[in-house]
Amino acid sequence: MSFVSNARSRSLGSGGLLAGFHVPATVALSLLIVAIVLAWSVLPGLFTSYSPVVGVPADKLLGPSALHWFGTDHLGRDVYARVVYGTASSVSSALIAVVIGVVVGGLIGLISGFLGGWVDVVFARLVDVLLAIPKFLLAVIVVTAIGFETINAAIATGVSAVAIFARVTRAEVIKTRQATFVEAAYLSGGSRWFILWRHVLPNASRSVLPLAVLQFGESILVIASLAFLGYGDPPPASDWGLLISIGKDYLKWPWLVYAPAFVTILTVLSVNRISRWLRKTD
Amino acid sequence: MSNAYLTYAAKRLGQAVVVILLAYIFTFVVVSILPGDPVTSVLRNPQNGFTEEEIAEIIAAQGLDKPIIVQLWNALSGFLTGDLGMSMRSNRPVSTLIAEVLPSTLILASAGLAVALVLAMLVAYGTRFVPKKYGQGLLRGFPSLFLSVPNFVIGLMLIHIFGFQLGLFRVINPDSFWATLFAAIALGIPVSAQIAEVLIANLDREAEQEYAAVARSRGIGQARLFATHLLKPASLPVVTVVALTIGELLGGSLITETVFGRTGIGSLVQRSVSTQDLPVLQAVVSLGAVVFVLVNLIADLLYPLLDPRVKIIGGRKRSPTTADETAIGATKAVTP
Amino acid sequence: MASQDRLTPTLLHPTTTAPLLKVRNLSVSYDRQEVVHDVGFELGRGKSLALIGESGSGKSTIARALLRLLPGGAAASGHVEFGGQDVLALPERRFRPLRGRAIGFVPQDPGNALNPVRKIGVQAMEAAALTGETDAAIRKALILETFAQVGLDNPQRVYDSYPHQLSGGMLQRVLIGLAVLPRPALLVADEPTSALDVTIQKRILDLLSRLQQDLDISLLLITHDLAIAAERTDGLVVLKNGSVQEAGRTSAVFSSPASAYARKLHADVPALNPDRYVKLRDPSLHRHEGGQAPKIEVSAVTKTFAVDGKVLTAVDNVSFTVPAGTTHALVGESGSGKTTTIRLLLGLDEPDSGKISVAGERVSGRSQQSLRSVWRHLQLVYQNPFTSLDPTWTVERLVREPVDRFRIGTPLERSEQVREALANVGLGEHLLTRKPGALSGGQRQRVAIARSLVLKPDVIVLDEPTSALDVSVQADIVEVLLTLQARLGLTYIFVSHDLALVRQLAHTVSVMRRGSVVEQGSVADIFENPQHAYTASLLESIPSGISATRPLVQPKQRRVARQEQIA
Repeated sequence: MSFVSNARSRSLGSGGLLAGFHVPATVALSLLIVAIVLAWSVLPGLFTSYSPVVGVPADKLLGPSALHWFGTDHLGRDVYARVVYGTASSVSSALIAVVIGVVVGGLIGLISGFLGGWVDVVFARLVDVLLAIPKFLLAVIVVTAIGFETINAAIATGVSAVAIFARVTRAEVIKTRQATFVEAAYLSGGSRWFILWRHVLPNASRSVLPLAVLQFGESILVIASLAFLGYGDPPPASDWGLLISIGKDYLKWPWLVYAPAFVTILTVLSVNRISRWLRKTD
Repeated sequence: MSNAYLTYAAKRLGQAVVVILLAYIFTFVVVSILPGDPVTSVLRNPQNGFTEEEIAEIIAAQGLDKPIIVQLWNALSGFLTGDLGMSMRSNRPVSTLIAEVLPSTLILASAGLAVALVLAMLVAYGTRFVPKKYGQGLLRGFPSLFLSVPNFVIGLMLIHIFGFQLGLFRVINPDSFWATLFAAIALGIPVSAQIAEVLIANLDREAEQEYAAVARSRGIGQARLFATHLLKPASLPVVTVVALTIGELLGGSLITETVFGRTGIGSLVQRSVSTQDLPVLQAVVSLGAVVFVLVNLIADLLYPLLDPRVKIIGGRKRSPTTADETAIGATKAVTP
Repeated sequence: MASQDRLTPTLLHPTTTAPLLKVRNLSVSYDRQEVVHDVGFELGRGKSLALIGESGSGKSTIARALLRLLPGGAAASGHVEFGGQDVLALPERRFRPLRGRAIGFVPQDPGNALNPVRKIGVQAMEAAALTGETDAAIRKALILETFAQVGLDNPQRVYDSYPHQLSGGMLQRVLIGLAVLPRPALLVADEPTSALDVTIQKRILDLLSRLQQDLDISLLLITHDLAIAAERTDGLVVLKNGSVQEAGRTSAVFSSPASAYARKLHADVPALNPDRYVKLRDPSLHRHEGGQAPKIEVSAVTKTFAVDGKVLTAVDNVSFTVPAGTTHALVGESGSGKTTTIRLLLGLDEPDSGKISVAGERVSGRSQQSLRSVWRHLQLVYQNPFTSLDPTWTVERLVREPVDRFRIGTPLERSEQVREALANVGLGEHLLTRKPGALSGGQRQRVAIARSLVLKPDVIVLDEPTSALDVSVQADIVEVLLTLQARLGLTYIFVSHDLALVRQLAHTVSVMRRGSVVEQGSVADIFENPQHAYTASLLESIPSGISATRPLVQPKQRRVARQEQIA
């Protein structure tokens, strides 16, 4: 019987992060789509030579063609260019919403889950209240309170996501706090705060990451809905939801709705696929 | 009805009351931090054409000259006695305004819920019967696809295809049968995606349980396994999920009513937002919270009676299964 | 040993009739990865055969393949002849009538084997329907009779219960009853007792053997326990990594194993090798005979918990002392209070009354801060290495954590201590950068032991450190532990439900039941001359692997006796 155990046993993960990752085709495609969308938002000028604001009136309401991929609108503007230039605002506001949700919700969940006691009770009721108000109504009154702008729509969306992050983080923290390895860390002489930061937080956040990615997709939808109702930046801004909202008055030229809708759906679908994959590979 | 259950019920009821009160206070605070003075922006708006005397009268009637804490107290005690205050814009009782539009929204929301339930069950139960090579993947893809589609896009597509192209209904007549049906479909599809997602996950989990294999070792076929073994444990937790989707139905009807040009709570909110009619907004949002809390209270009280796995210990619900987890899973996957 | 297996003389001669079950060239793959390779065996009518192997040996997969209950994505190839027809080749429609009627199945974990939201009676009706009996009243009578037959005291109550209202032992009786009710020709039992307590294990195995004999059923027993297999079956098939290592008559394979793997398996089973570690355990220079102050003193400790308004006495007036450099075992079944006792010992819970001291320092009644200084010399190894190591940390950080937290030596010295601790448990340095997810169960437990060693403590508490591991891994870990004890003079508290293991490695033992110590003393005294009936019954539950003590011919019983207690 050898004392040195077999080194070859199930040698996963030894070759760094990527060795253990098998990326399915749909996930690779989703990552590509998200990469393109991010590129649109950073460098829109690289992807189209048309102006998103100034149109050619003679070319108004043209169908999709090689020249105008998504057709043109009632002012003769290239819809593809409008979508590409609208990306930055749609994507960055969704990011802001997620950051607000993760940071505020995560902090609430972390503190109430780790401290327990009356702190937990107080936060639990607060989270219950945020959950009780229908999310979209909550976003609407918050954006009403702070003003109709895309950035405010993002903040409102973030506020409406706080409760979910708080609840999930709290559940994860409690689950982790009761884990055997946390008790083992106490026996190893670790202090409460050391264990919170080095053991509980990294483990609890593992399931918050897929949720944050999922929330990113959802925030795109909520912000698009708010823009659709006219609670974001006014035209000539070209947020995806706003484009669809303008298009709905021109249903005879359906690409005005379908083109931005297609981009929105494809983006959110890709983001959701990535989230699902992250949840599984965890 | 055991003692433990009654303790649990009393505790949940108390929590529900506290949450409703806090939700009211919360919306009051959010609405009160509006930048600018609502009095100036609404009452002194020349479009509304109020005279100075009328303005003074409204301010006095609404108690807007009192300190904020007194206003909150007045509003809260009014809310508890069923008095929702007066609309600032039309100077009519808020309860009257809501009562006028509520039936239309109730019809839409319940039709939407019905669509959501039927569709979710068809899709989820279908995954058990449609073989892999005949499109089971399509059914399984349904939830993730429709969780990615904004519901106003679904509405616009339905209007475009069935209204414009096929001429089944006209948006000018939003209360017709077809218009209501398609509005309900637009509202119900994203909600059904959520329910179907949980249902499919539950069915898959139950089918992998040891008891399913043991039942099959007793010669039970797939169809009977589904009907007598998997259906109940997979579907029971959905009671909780459906209750959680009430919020989506309320929020979604706001957009759906706009898309289909219906009058209802949604259009009332829209109008109140644009005119900054605070008492109306405050009332609608807190009523939304009341409905949500009550529906979820009922679901929570019902669930231990339906599912023998759930035990009430020390006034808390203890579930040896993953019913609670699926409820969290449902809050994870939400559409506007 | 009151086992009533059939070992009739006819078994010793080749039978003339064709075997009931004939497996040839069976291979099973999951997602194109083959996990069972070219397996073949035969099982005669009324005989019993054991498939034995450790985790990953493919034994359960084979059982599922026979019943065609493999999960989606798995594919079986080869021939499974049952009663003369190749069942693998049958369409599902034609195979289904065989399930239950001709081939019965007893699952591993009775707690998950019945639908939790349906009453047991409704589920039993499914089995009763297989008899072809059309009258529902007669079907119900059949069920109640069967429940009585498998030793369930109150059949009607069981019939009306939900699964969660019964204990694991009772549920396994229900499941066995349902499996034999339609009188199948073959019973496949997949580790039928591994989820149960030791004393209940024996009763369930007795029941299976008895029913097999009474009803003339062939039994295919899947197990990881060589001793159980040897005691209960006529034939043995030893599997490793999905391939047959050795097969033959049980007596032959057991007494003179031909393959290296079967020999090692035999050597690693504690029940079969009580004296394996005697030299390691009792090196002459480390014998501490009295005179010295005990390292651990637990005196009259009591701990109660309030659960659901009721007061539960988890530990009731427990006392024991442990001399330095020796191993004291706490033995008992689930709910005996052994885990609570060590939590009190470590200061993780506070006793209601009584005194605990370790190396002269009092443990009970201390603050969290002053407990740290106790933990400096008192460490714990947990039962499950899959949960006791933070999955986000590397092996190096994990083992280094205690020396970092207690700020021992310079950073350079700490690295040196980590390497030394790893070497002590036989782990190579190439594992330092791995995370627990990339380690095997045995490697993880070694990491956990290294973590408890790195502080150079006097006392290590071992909470069932091998119960989540295979026997061969268990043997490695035990050897590591005893070598370290001999070298470093460590004192161990060893918690276990496995008496055979305790006999191998402990010096003294306390037998616990329902929170109290029923008997304590030296291992030799307790094992050779148990004073308490409970200790005796625990000892009797150890499978001996010897079937020679059994009477060769058993008179056939008309009905199974019901003298057994409800589990």
